[in-house]
Amino acid sequence: MSSAQANHLRQLERLSAGFFADRDGLRAVAQRTAAVDEVVRALYAEVFGGEDGGIAAVAVGGYGRRELFPHSDVDLLLLFRRSRDAHQHKDRIATLLARLWDSKLRVSHSVRDPGECTRLAPDNTELHISLLDTRFVAGDAELVDQLRTTTLPKFYLREQRHLLRSLTEAAHRRHQSHGRTLYHLEPDIKEGPGGLRDYQLACWVAQLENALPGRLPASEEYLPRQRDWDIAEAKRFLFALRCYLHYYHRRDKNQITFEMQDRIAEEGAGKVYPAPADPARLMRAFFRNARAIHRLALRLIDESSTPTNALLTILRGRKSRLSNRDFTVVQGRVYFRSALALDASPELALLIFVFQARHGLPLAAQAELRVREHLPSLRAHFTASRSPWRQLREILLLPHTYQALESMRETGVLYVLFPEFELVDCLVIRDFHHRYTVDEHTLVTIRVLKELPAATEPLDRRFANLLGEVQRPELLYLALLLHDLGKGVEQRLHDEAGAELARDAMRRIGLPDGLEADMVLALVRDHLAMSQTMTKRDIGDAVVLESFKAQVLTLERLKLLTLLTYADTVGVNPSARTAWRKELLWRLYLGVYMRFQRDHEDERIRADAEADCLRLASSEAERQRMRGFLRGFPERYPHTNESDQVYRHFVMAEGLQPGAAAVSVARAEAHYEIVVVAADRPGLFASLCAGMASFGLNIQQAEAFSNTDGLALDSFRATSRVGGDFDDGQLKRLRKRLRRAAEGSLDPEELVRKQHPAARPRHAMRPPEVSFDNATSENATIFYVGAADRHGLLYDLATVFSRFHSDIDVVLSETQGLRALDVFYLRKNHRKLDEAACHALRAELLKACEPKQTEAAFRS
Amino acid sequence: MKKIEAVIQPFKLDDVREALKGIGIDGMTIYDVRGHGRQKGHKEVYRGQEYEVDLLPKVKIEAIVPGDRVQEIVSALVESARTGQIGDGKVFISDVVQAVRIRNNERDDEAL
Repeated sequence: MSSAQANHLRQLERLSAGFFADRDGLRAVAQRTAAVDEVVRALYAEVFGGEDGGIAAVAVGGYGRRELFPHSDVDLLLLFRRSRDAHQHKDRIATLLARLWDSKLRVSHSVRDPGECTRLAPDNTELHISLLDTRFVAGDAELVDQLRTTTLPKFYLREQRHLLRSLTEAAHRRHQSHGRTLYHLEPDIKEGPGGLRDYQLACWVAQLENALPGRLPASEEYLPRQRDWDIAEAKRFLFALRCYLHYYHRRDKNQITFEMQDRIAEEGAGKVYPAPADPARLMRAFFRNARAIHRLALRLIDESSTPTNALLTILRGRKSRLSNRDFTVVQGRVYFRSALALDASPELALLIFVFQARHGLPLAAQAELRVREHLPSLRAHFTASRSPWRQLREILLLPHTYQALESMRETGVLYVLFPEFELVDCLVIRDFHHRYTVDEHTLVTIRVLKELPAATEPLDRRFANLLGEVQRPELLYLALLLHDLGKGVEQRLHDEAGAELARDAMRRIGLPDGLEADMVLALVRDHLAMSQTMTKRDIGDAVVLESFKAQVLTLERLKLLTLLTYADTVGVNPSARTAWRKELLWRLYLGVYMRFQRDHEDERIRADAEADCLRLASSEAERQRMRGFLRGFPERYPHTNESDQVYRHFVMAEGLQPGAAAVSVARAEAHYEIVVVAADRPGLFASLCAGMASFGLNIQQAEAFSNTDGLALDSFRATSRVGGDFDDGQLKRLRKRLRRAAEGSLDPEELVRKQHPAARPRHAMRPPEVSFDNATSENATIFYVGAADRHGLLYDLATVFSRFHSDIDVVLSETQGLRALDVFYLRKNHRKLDEAACHALRAELLKACEPKQTEAAFRS
Repeated sequence: MKKIEAVIQPFKLDDVREALKGIGIDGMTIYDVRGHGRQKGHKEVYRGQEYEVDLLPKVKIEAIVPGDRVQEIVSALVESARTGQIGDGKVFISDVVQAVRIRNNERDDEAL
């Protein structure tokens, strides 16, 4: 071994010790480069010493940048003026390489002439990219100079577009193979998103974009400096980490495993990260740095692929059909139409995300920059008087909420609305279940629900259907957004701490104290209740189910909590045991749901009962009157109606004139909510069914109750057969018709004959089923009817009951898809029906379930 | 050596592990499983749709134990897993031919 080699080996030892003294990664790589330069020069002189020109050793890639990591390969180019010279010197090349290997250098070499360097090889992007960073080491300096100042710049100018495209595609593939996220628990700091590769990517893009005829820019010359997070700081951090990993493993290993995280935290990562520290906080620092680098890389790619005349395009007004008064869409990216408008209305910085949530398009880098610039004015804009809830609510309800929230996080708008989010920014929960950091997990749970309607697995479809049933989904999404904030509060149980944070957050964004805020709070506070119950308690035990039912209070809240739990479970780790957990969750939901359904009509609200809705009364006198209103209704009534709905019904009842009826028709997301309050009488329910059928309404759900004072409360959820919305005039007519039907001044038979031209009767998928039950209820006979849903079905069934002179006490009607399931509680002369009557009734009901004759025959 | 396989109710897992730990059995493998016994095939009706309820979530515990302690372990397991209701589960015992600890090549009873 020559003295150069021996020297080199000694140097390596020194360098290693030197690094662990102060963990300065930048210095370590520079020093290693110098050491390698020495031995390369020495060995080159030994082997090629006699030559007087036409050959050179050139450092490329990381070696060219003077950034050689302790165990990275050394990228060396042996440059020959003519390739046949290379052939001549074949043996000497082999000797040089052998000696380099003996010096413990893993050399990754290539042998070329200048022409070969600039021949575009489609599958050799690696070579072309590595030549962006060339540096003379030994041999013919003029040869190298010519390459660097003439040959290469010309080449890069010519092939700029092509190379940028290759770089971008390679980067996308790389990101894809890392799950498109930088939030891995054991990240690869070289290849992963936000890692060193991405940093290099940013440098290369900047170099290519700024190439000039006589000159190729240096690696970091045109790298923009971030304002909010220091890129230089991030680079220093990653370099220190990678050096540590290399020296520790003595190999080119770049993954920070849990074990390494513990070690590094304990021993410190040099000047950039003092020890001792908690590994979770080390990783938090890592993610913040990685995110800055990732963002930088993406931004530069984005800018490079946007043609320079994009701005002109905006000005000329050529735009996508999605553009509106405030925003333009060019090449699939969203821009502010005018910077001045943003100065005048800072609110636009939030509205752009509403736009994004609606259309799912990313913001242009320029637009993101504008938003960041206006964060202070946005913050000032949202004082107590101008709350962002309205816009936020819209964002939560639109299809592309996840993208919008992610952009809001990247630009900082999310922290303006919710400073609490700082607490969980990049927060790592170190256990094998959690795949994401807390803030990422939060957004992922929302994405899970947004993607749920497209699910195909039968188990998922049950939850998808449930999602379609909830009345106030925005509360669910808001609860998801806030549910884990408590994890950022140390030394408190995170569900309790979370509830407190949630209350403050809601007040700040303008959701006032009240029913909606209470529902969100309950969801946040109880967000672990279902998973805990389903794994720790016997969900077949009636006592367990009953107590859970009491905890959730209403069916609607049960559904919201179930969906929240579903999203939380899937959002922790998409692959972890989820089928098993989903099955358990469904079983628990079903169990509690059944308890709500089986509320016997026997269980009536008593005079002294306490109900949540009573607290909405504004005075003791009103509270007493409310009690009177509630008395006699079935227990299930306040369980299937939220307190504010019960209060509205009460107000309707208060305003009733004798003999009159009160009707309320409200338009909800995809259906109409109709409530009728009137004095109970035989045939009331049937008349109302007829009234609605005559207006072309399809009854999806119905509930009919009466209280001790003989007041009937019938509520319906209905959709319009012909689709489309009723205008105000039609709504008025509907109300009038229902009122008159309820008051008895319309003939139901005639109404039914006035049917809207109906769609063809649907084919029954199964024959109708009718059964009766005289055992379950003490005072009434229960009839269960399952039949193919069709127009006017409920009316037909109700008239059968009237014909038999039986009074309908309670009706529960639901439609699922094509099938209707109706439950009637009947009494005849205040008593159950006898066997014979039941059988006769059953036969008649089965007949009534059959699809009607053709419309033509009927209308005649 | 014997292998003990037990299929139990999920909410009983903690109790069973406590009981086994109490008699010195620490090593076991836990699986999330679905299945049913004789009592399968009852229908639930949800919103007019019928669901066949036949695959219920359960937990399976597997432990390899010295042959002379089998009865003691099985008793502890059964006692702690029982609720008296249908669905409590079952325990199966089979023979194990050999066992090896990967780290240091210990065999059979030493490997347990």
